[in-house]
Amino acid sequence: MKIILSRLVAVREVPVFLALLLVLIVTGIANPQFVSASGAQDIFLGVAVIATLCVGQTFVITMRHIDLSVGSTAGFTAYMIGKVSGDHHGLGISLLVALAIGLLVGAVNGFLVAYLRLPSLVVTLASLWIVRGIFNQVAGGNTITDNQVPSALGYLGRHSFAYIPYIFIIAFALVLFASFIMHSSRPARDLYAMGSNPPASELAGIPVIKRTFFAFLASGAVSGLGGAILLARFHSADSNSGLGLELNVIAACVVGGVAVAGGVGTPYGALIGALLLQSITQALGALGVSQFWQLAVNGVLLISAISLDRYLTLRIKPTRILRVKS
Amino acid sequence: MQKKLVRVAIAIVAVAGLVGTAATANAGATGIKGGLKIAIMPKAVNIGYFTAWNKGATKACKEIGARCTYLGPTTATGAAQVQFINQVIQQHYNVLVISAADQNAIVPALNKARAAGITIVTSDADVDPSAAASRVTAILPASSTRIGTAEVDWIAAATGEKGSIAVLSAAATAANQNAWIAAMGPYLTQKYPNMSWVGGTVDKSVFYGNDDATTSTQQFDAILAQYPKVAGIISPTTVGVLAAAQEKKAKSATVAITGLGLPSQMAPYITDGTVLKVGLWNPIDLGYVAVYAAAEAASGTFKGTTGSSFYAGNTKATKKTYTVTAGGITYLGDPFTFDKSNIATFAAIY
Amino acid sequence: MKRAIFGWDKGILVFLVLTTIVGSFVTPYFANASNFSFVIQDIGEFMLMAIPMTFLIIAGEIDLSIGSTICLSSAALGYSYRQGIPFWLCLVIALVVGLLCGLINGILVTYFGLQSLAVTIGTLALYRGLCFVLLGNQPVNQMPLSYTDLGSNSIPHTFLPYVTILIFIFGAMGWIALHYSRLGRWTFAVGINVEAAKFSGIPVMRLKLALFAMTGLMAGVAGIVYTFRFASASPDGATGYELSVIASVLFGGVSIAGGVGTMWGVLAAVLELGVIRSVLQLINVSANTLLVVSGGLLLLSVAVPRAIEISRSRRKLVSIEKKG
Repeated sequence: MKIILSRLVAVREVPVFLALLLVLIVTGIANPQFVSASGAQDIFLGVAVIATLCVGQTFVITMRHIDLSVGSTAGFTAYMIGKVSGDHHGLGISLLVALAIGLLVGAVNGFLVAYLRLPSLVVTLASLWIVRGIFNQVAGGNTITDNQVPSALGYLGRHSFAYIPYIFIIAFALVLFASFIMHSSRPARDLYAMGSNPPASELAGIPVIKRTFFAFLASGAVSGLGGAILLARFHSADSNSGLGLELNVIAACVVGGVAVAGGVGTPYGALIGALLLQSITQALGALGVSQFWQLAVNGVLLISAISLDRYLTLRIKPTRILRVKS
Repeated sequence: MQKKLVRVAIAIVAVAGLVGTAATANAGATGIKGGLKIAIMPKAVNIGYFTAWNKGATKACKEIGARCTYLGPTTATGAAQVQFINQVIQQHYNVLVISAADQNAIVPALNKARAAGITIVTSDADVDPSAAASRVTAILPASSTRIGTAEVDWIAAATGEKGSIAVLSAAATAANQNAWIAAMGPYLTQKYPNMSWVGGTVDKSVFYGNDDATTSTQQFDAILAQYPKVAGIISPTTVGVLAAAQEKKAKSATVAITGLGLPSQMAPYITDGTVLKVGLWNPIDLGYVAVYAAAEAASGTFKGTTGSSFYAGNTKATKKTYTVTAGGITYLGDPFTFDKSNIATFAAIY
Repeated sequence: MKRAIFGWDKGILVFLVLTTIVGSFVTPYFANASNFSFVIQDIGEFMLMAIPMTFLIIAGEIDLSIGSTICLSSAALGYSYRQGIPFWLCLVIALVVGLLCGLINGILVTYFGLQSLAVTIGTLALYRGLCFVLLGNQPVNQMPLSYTDLGSNSIPHTFLPYVTILIFIFGAMGWIALHYSRLGRWTFAVGINVEAAKFSGIPVMRLKLALFAMTGLMAGVAGIVYTFRFASASPDGATGYELSVIASVLFGGVSIAGGVGTMWGVLAAVLELGVIRSVLQLINVSANTLLVVSGGLLLLSVAVPRAIEISRSRRKLVSIEKKG
């Protein structure tokens, strides 16, 4: 029994999942509405955008890099889809616009970080500002309203399949897909090596530059998709859209086991991390915690989650080394 | 690049000078100095409400022959606004029309501007009452009491004058919203005995959406989660009421929604019945009247003391007189209400 | 002492002088006492925070919670004053609060072993949350003028605002500490190679704890400066300051990887960013364009040294090939 338990806890994502269950159970007892169908829906809806962005961020963080520009890119994309669609174009063209913007930002970030070897924190901080500045200029004081949202996108944002919102299903599918490639495809597995030991991975023949470039490209594309989901969720966009998202995404990743030091973590871990943080935020409301205390409590719980993850990693490290996978 | 900018700047100044001299001939007749250099400063540029506000200000500027510039920060904080107040001081503007992003933080900067000879009028959002001396007058739509009580009336109409009510506000520190909410509390209890606040008192029934779409949407959900039987939600902020309407439609909720909404943004939700009625004053008017007040103060014809008055409008038909009330505040009038009957008309204006 | 890669810090000083001169010609509004005074006031808190942040980044750490700490110190100051505590004691409380915040960060990073990037996102939320707990939605604004005027006025007979005194004192202390003291040597050593530093006997944990504490204390000082400048304490003060401070430090030639940087580069960089902002504003560049320019400058600060490095290594290769 002990061995099974310790093996279970050794899986990096289990502690986060347990923490999530804990929050759900404790809050559910105090306020049953929280764990009802509509309560669960609220959590899924709230987490959809961040979960999507976490996929791209996981690629980047496991390589020991970071992408701070995701919020600006997602916001800009959300606005541009609305703008383009508002001029009577369909969903298809709008998604193309989204991907185009996301890929462009990702390509620029990727080029600067991979080929010029500039530090990713600096590059993506700069692109955070540059994209936001361009976005502000393009958007001005305009707001994208309900009737400018492509109807297909709008439908997805407001409806569910078997009580699970479509936008969460999309995010979840993306997470599954990303987890699969990180687990089994060679190029994606290289990211772990690059994050664990950069010089060694280069010597081992891993095409570091190519992998890095594609990881940022992927993060950019995912941010574009995140913008589409942002628009679907809120049916509105303006120059403040996406402001501050990047810190939430990074926090979710870290809590979900994607360590900033690189080399570990999976997209589904990040998803659970995002679910945990979203649940905490909504639980505080459901528990009736005073508005003025919510931010502080949120901070304490975030620190606790990070500490817990770290503590368990330290404890299970020896076991992990013994579990050799072929 | 900078040389080109300098040349362009010189050209603009030259043209403006010519226009200014032409205007001076005009303006002498109306008592306003011509060629005044006026800075129009919103809480933040890139906000639709202030784009409308600026429309009114620009119209007034043209009428009085002043040179106006719309400038301000990208984030609505006092610290950011102070940087632009300094720009106004350094570039020797005559007049500053400003919507205060923070009722306290900008006061030292405003005092510096005043010391430099700049005439200051606040519009839409005022400084703290203790700092009333730092501006000539404040142009506000209606008293906090009238705005707050009006919103209670709107929600009462939507809920059939019964049920419990919650408030979805802006930031916790938003002075305007706090003042309106303070007026809502006693009024509801007194006039609508069959209605109540979800948390018992109005203070315990306020949720802060921070003028952010994501947060406002989450807070709307939180209200429904904490108080499933809530009958109505008042959102005295354009971002909040839009998010509430959106989320109500998304969840097919039955809670009534009202608040201060921009007609152009709320039109779809009023047309399809999600929201019965919202209200707002015309930000265009706020900007328009503020420029006239400031220009007359700068020309010496308006002192801003309680009981003094000024006019706005340059033709007999449009000329209206406004009087300053206690605290140096000038009120424009009650908010307009928008419902199915008139939303289309107003949505085209602002 | 280690210099910044290829003298970017010297480049910044030259850049600073150049922009000041060019700025004076390009707009008549720039070069005067009143504007210079404002520029210094505008960057005051950033300058004060850049000093400890330089140490942290050189040591390989980071602190994203400084904006919230500044706000919390200011909120503690205001809250204490509202409770009737004598104003000078409120200032002390502000400093203590800042120090405590820094210590908490330090303990979480050293003894709990948490990544500073991640954990300071948490303390960012916690400290700002505490601002709301203290002040609710009631900012404090009626503070003794004799103190808050120090935030607005200049030293008599000069154009320098009072905060200049603090900048000089802490700037000098930071410079001496970083480049001429054991603390500085240890900081660089830890940034270059933590393991080697440990093995050479440097008390890495105590050092990092001290650096975080120092950062917190300086945030307390910055919080006082902030409170005086705006004559008020509000729970939403100093939002977004952390990224600006980090950007200034990076712009000053400090490498985010750690182990490289100079204090004069950073001080010049903070001043330079203030000057550029002032000049651009006075030639009527919009706020949106200013954002893009900030990003561009940050990129330049790493791209230019890298470009030089690439071309130098190419020349080296060529000369090696030539020799044969």
